[in-house]
Amino acid sequence: MKKFTLMLLTLLMIVSMLSAQELTGLQIIQNVYNRPTAEDQTADLTMSLINSRGNKRVREIKQYLKDFGDMEKKIMFFVAPADVYNTSFMNWSYDKDGKDDDQWIYLPALRRVKRISSDSKSDYFMGSDFTYDDLGDRQPNQDTHKLLREEEIDGETCYVVESIPKEEEYMYSKTITWVIKDKWIGKKKDFYDEGKDLLKTLSVDETKKINDIIIITLSKMENIQSKHKTIMKLENVKINVGVSDLKFTERMMKRGI
Amino acid sequence: MKNKIIIITMLLFTATIMLNAQISHRGFVRTYLGVLPNENGEYSVLQNTFNWQLEYGKNNVGLFVNPMFNYDGLDKNLNISLRQAYFDIYFNKFDLRIGKQQIIWGKADGVFITDVISPRDLSEFLLPEFEEIRIGINSVKLNYYKGNSTIEAVWIPTFQPTIMPDANSIWFPKMELPEIPNSFDYSDATVEQKLSESEGALKYSYLGSAIDFELMTAYMWDDNPAMHITPHFTPGNLQPDSLTIKPEYHRLPLVGASFSKSILGAVIRGESAYYFGKKFSAENFSINGIREKDYIHYLIGYDHNWFGVNVSLQLIQEYILDYEDDIRNNEFSNTATFLASKTFINETLELSLFSYFGIDDGDALLRPKLSYDLSDGFNVLFGANIFVGDDGNFGQYDNNDMIYTKIRYNF
Repeated sequence: MKKFTLMLLTLLMIVSMLSAQELTGLQIIQNVYNRPTAEDQTADLTMSLINSRGNKRVREIKQYLKDFGDMEKKIMFFVAPADVYNTSFMNWSYDKDGKDDDQWIYLPALRRVKRISSDSKSDYFMGSDFTYDDLGDRQPNQDTHKLLREEEIDGETCYVVESIPKEEEYMYSKTITWVIKDKWIGKKKDFYDEGKDLLKTLSVDETKKINDIIIITLSKMENIQSKHKTIMKLENVKINVGVSDLKFTERMMKRGI
Repeated sequence: MKNKIIIITMLLFTATIMLNAQISHRGFVRTYLGVLPNENGEYSVLQNTFNWQLEYGKNNVGLFVNPMFNYDGLDKNLNISLRQAYFDIYFNKFDLRIGKQQIIWGKADGVFITDVISPRDLSEFLLPEFEEIRIGINSVKLNYYKGNSTIEAVWIPTFQPTIMPDANSIWFPKMELPEIPNSFDYSDATVEQKLSESEGALKYSYLGSAIDFELMTAYMWDDNPAMHITPHFTPGNLQPDSLTIKPEYHRLPLVGASFSKSILGAVIRGESAYYFGKKFSAENFSINGIREKDYIHYLIGYDHNWFGVNVSLQLIQEYILDYEDDIRNNEFSNTATFLASKTFINETLELSLFSYFGIDDGDALLRPKLSYDLSDGFNVLFGANIFVGDDGNFGQYDNNDMIYTKIRYNF
């Protein structure tokens, strides 16, 4: 019996060591990055922008996404507020390192699709607290990752990973991400500004499993310094419904919703 | 005409109520007050505008109607116009749009090179929003799609010229005419409304990762009439005693191309057109003050975001080929535009400056603006139009500087 217990302990130690080896910060973030995603997706996105006085502005968007293997195409049609109704925005992002996104905007009043500069990932999306970079998939090799600890949030055990950008000019000095164990999905993320002060906190408040793929349906980004926050809600989510390649064209940008 | 538009508007309003579930309607209400910054603070603009857009769609057919009501508080006049009214038919590979519509071509901002389809309303120079400068034109537009390529064919059955300011308007452009008594003869200042006088245009466009580009050709009428001058002499005199000036429209065929491309996070744009046989004003009366020359109009533009500031620069040149010295225009005309804009407070506040620079005459138009969103769709704007110089396209309006405010509610 003693021999058996010793063997079991040794085995547990080996498993524990192996799993500890797997639990580097980089691997956790890679697991998040490689989490299965939909081949295509349609959804209604509502962003509520709330300032420090509690005043709320609402942006409503109909969006379509499609993975083309080495690139992802996204098209967004703005539904509200009224002054941006039927404005559309199209983004093509590429897996290839160093290749900038291609972006176009269609303003119905001007009746013209215009290619826009994509070197503004630090710009805030539609006045929200999310930058374009926050909304995209940041590649794991762009940061140095370190597993800090494990912590429980809302009953979920999370890995806490610190990520420091390799690029000196990046808008954040570091981020700290709480990743739910086994689900490989972020639960919370703190963003630190260039002065190393806490700037924003992202919390993931609701997820849904659709066709075995976990989709974040409710999240909140709060700017700690300005007290401004954005609540992002995804509704009517449909995945792998066979969105046509032709959805991501100039024709559809002009045709609108 | 006005009564008819009012009746049509009432019918549309009734139809909207009856078909409320299917017709969507949007638009804006705007108050616009402009003041000349002279010692009296004279009002130059006092307008209240209601822009109404009605849209209906069912299956593969769409309908769009856009009446606009503009009350001029200075003239005490209500102007009603039908800015656009068309229907769409959508097929699998092509779309058809028939009716009064705005058609915009090219990659230039605020400069019209291959963008020759929709005429312009220049009664207030280039100061209204660009969307309001363009006039809807009665036409049939067919778009054929294949992947990222589009072929667009436009047929315009009747010619509609650009609207110029009234002769007594502060925006009436300076005309270079000899200082000899003259009279105007407008008997040929129209284009007949018949099939043979219609206009046509064709465009191929491609939108892709590497580049976006357009190739176009058009068989149009020149929007600006040529001033044919007939001199009248007293026998024995070498100098004419008087002139008859006869404005006349002429055909102006053109071919053109434009592109835009991302390079290192910036966007480079270009656009050019070659116009065949434009009638230029000349000082030589023996040829009725007209010389026919080909000319080229082109632009190169650069858009970039520097530290959150959107910057856009355009350099534009017009070049008259086979130039002769008696032509009143310069052989080369050079213009530049500059735009810088930045938003603050989660995009509720925007500061911007758009400027035209006439490089040859050293003149300019500077248009600073400050815009603030009071709430969703409710915006207040303060701006100024500052003309610099004494001559040229912009300097000639040096006395027309204006400060203004606009309050706008979108619904």
